[in-house]
Amino acid sequence: MLLFRSEEHVRRWYQESEMLAGATLTLEQQWELARVWYSDRLSPGWRRRTPAEAEGVFASAGLTGEFWRLTDPDIGGRQI
Amino acid sequence: MAELDTEVRLAVYRFFVDHGRPPVPVEVASALGTEQRSVEDAFRRLADAHVLVLAPGTPYIWMANPLSAIPTPFRVEAWGRTLFGTCIWDALGVVAMLGGTGTVHTWCPDCGEPSSVSVEDDRLRSGRGIVHFAVPAAHWWDDIGFN
Repeated sequence: MLLFRSEEHVRRWYQESEMLAGATLTLEQQWELARVWYSDRLSPGWRRRTPAEAEGVFASAGLTGEFWRLTDPDIGGRQI
Repeated sequence: MAELDTEVRLAVYRFFVDHGRPPVPVEVASALGTEQRSVEDAFRRLADAHVLVLAPGTPYIWMANPLSAIPTPFRVEAWGRTLFGTCIWDALGVVAMLGGTGTVHTWCPDCGEPSSVSVEDDRLRSGRGIVHFAVPAAHWWDDIGFN
């Protein structure tokens, strides 16, 4: 999860690598994700999110689709 | 999460923020008035639960996300502290965790140009660029040191 100057720099960095097929976020999306994900980490009541809850956080930052999927009816969920 | 594990988790984060490095097990044991072995067992349970990341083959903390025990290209200035995140998400996460005001210093991986992102009162104030995630979410913990 790296911060590049622009998409052109992402392309140059990864060149023909399959990594290029990853996902790009705006800084605003990244901040929103960081804010929601980590703002309660020092709270005594903090707990890991379920896969469905994590997908909800992604969706709140506009991040949807297969790349962000953690729930799968075949394999269950991937807790992160 | 077991009561001891919760106490250990909180002690780790408090120490990490206060000292700029994670505690070793004996330091947590001393703070909680318990046995070092019990803390090491708690560290392992927390690592198994993906709450902490231990340096391979050791009972020593590598990451207490969003904090990194080792310097990275994601330096954070927040709450009067200098800390490190493992990636841009975690670096901004350190700012979020410490009250929502701070600055992340990094470099473009491609051209090496320094870059800073500042947040004030939970709002992005300055910074530019684009974030790239190489690994799909379901596979982040396959190799948490590479995302």
